[in-house]
Amino acid sequence: MTPSEASKIVRGVLCRGLSYEQTEQILKAMVPVGAEAGTAVFKEGERPQGLMVLLEGTVEVIKEGGGETLATIDAPTVLGEISLLMEGPHTASVRAKTACEFSLLTSTQFHRLLREESLAAYKVIAILAEVLARRLNRMDEKFVEVSRKTPSTHVEELTAFKQKLFTEWSF
Amino acid sequence: MSGFEDVNYYFRKAARVMDLSVAVERMLVTPYREVKVDVSITLDNGELGTFIGYRVQHDRSRGPMKGGLRYHPTVDLDEALGLASLMTWKTAVVNLPYGGAKGGIAVDPKNLSPGELERLTRKFVQQIHEIIGPQADIPAPDVNTNAQVMAWIMDEYSRLHGFSPAVVTGKPVELFGSRGREEATGRGAVFALEEYLRDSGQGEIGGKTFAIQGFGNVGSWAGRFLHERGGKVIAVSDVKGGVQNPEGLDVPRLIAHQKQQNTVTGFPGSDPISNDDLLLLPVDVLVPAALGGVITDMNVKDVRARLILEAANAPTTPEADEALVKRGITVLPDIYVNAGGVTVSYFEWAQNIQQFTWEEDKVNAELHRHMRDAYATLARVVRERKVSFRTAAFIVAIGRVGRATVLRGV
Repeated sequence: MTPSEASKIVRGVLCRGLSYEQTEQILKAMVPVGAEAGTAVFKEGERPQGLMVLLEGTVEVIKEGGGETLATIDAPTVLGEISLLMEGPHTASVRAKTACEFSLLTSTQFHRLLREESLAAYKVIAILAEVLARRLNRMDEKFVEVSRKTPSTHVEELTAFKQKLFTEWSF
Repeated sequence: MSGFEDVNYYFRKAARVMDLSVAVERMLVTPYREVKVDVSITLDNGELGTFIGYRVQHDRSRGPMKGGLRYHPTVDLDEALGLASLMTWKTAVVNLPYGGAKGGIAVDPKNLSPGELERLTRKFVQQIHEIIGPQADIPAPDVNTNAQVMAWIMDEYSRLHGFSPAVVTGKPVELFGSRGREEATGRGAVFALEEYLRDSGQGEIGGKTFAIQGFGNVGSWAGRFLHERGGKVIAVSDVKGGVQNPEGLDVPRLIAHQKQQNTVTGFPGSDPISNDDLLLLPVDVLVPAALGGVITDMNVKDVRARLILEAANAPTTPEADEALVKRGITVLPDIYVNAGGVTVSYFEWAQNIQQFTWEEDKVNAELHRHMRDAYATLARVVRERKVSFRTAAFIVAIGRVGRATVLRGV
């Protein structure tokens, strides 16, 4: 992927509503990073490098311990936003499912821009807030679905099985 | 012994057919109570001997719990749990008003004198008497325990609770035991076979060929009943080896020989055969009547019998069972075939409670009725659900235990 193609994607994902100069400021602070298929992009509990824009490829978000895949995400998208804003370790692991290319805005660079009261950096935060809001909204829906389904379907299943014991499984 | 995993494997297989939820499965598998006790006695040399005794009570929805007590170094909670759950399903298959239990003491009784064995047994009863009883949990003979041990249990329990012959079964006939109890497992297995042959249009036992692995209580009685019905028992074996005669062995003479020599080997007019080779003979019916796990993925492809009558507990491993089903070899499963023992134990318990002794004819007729009724139910499930006899047996058992549990209120 050429630098100009990469810039175009970053603009679309992270720099909507930024002026030309502001966009250039963000782009200049970013570095290209790659990950081969099957390798870890970052691991849960690790200190975060910064905000990653997935330019190309597919990644899996994994919660350690359970080993279950929380989400499979295709480019283009933003990763590492939670730990960037919370300044804590990564809350989940991300593994490259296919070969991936990223643009990395390091925490150091990002916080430098914030200290300099860069309007570009604050606009990026506004965009991240929107990303987070969308992801939170999806999580809310999922939570409602899970909490509505679990107890009642189990009860229905059990009631159905109790009946089946006397109808279908009574010989 | 991987009994617990095997039992659970077959249980799960039936559970999948019945579409049991994980929660129901867990409820049915989880034992009602597990008990582990100290059994310390003074040995003959004056030293203190400490042993560990176990009793696992698996399910009591269908009635008092029932199951053997074994004296063996490998006894532990895990093994007892597997066997206790097997008793739950077994008693349900033949529709006895019982739940399942199992237990024993981790000890090698060969190292004990008769006096030590009696003290050990009585001490064990003292330690578990609060959880056993004619309406709670009724032990029975198992590996390395016999009618004498049961008599001690009855006596010790009666000292603590008053006259209670029904606390234990498999007692000596002289002391509230039942006629026909000793032969019951072998006889029940032969009844099971007769039902299957008749139902599947294969005629009678007469003229068919048999190989019997294991010639202890179960194997020798099964052999005698097969012989009496005109079956040709062409090979039998015990731990020391086997004997064969393609024309058929004279079973009563063989039993007399075994009593004298303590082994079937060297029986006049027979050729030797190894335990391994016996399993591969091209007979009509193979009867594993000794150990568990003898038909495995290693030898199953060479099994040439047309039918396997599981007189022993768990003689076929789950892998081998799958392979036999694929090859179209019918397996009549242990939880039905060898249920004759616990069925006549039930009659013994019933006689003790009635304080009325049955003639042997009545015992055998009732045993026949139970095995016949159970077969009719199994055969119906096999036909209607297109499953093996083993899966059918577990389906029937899970259904009965499940209904009792639901009716009582979960």
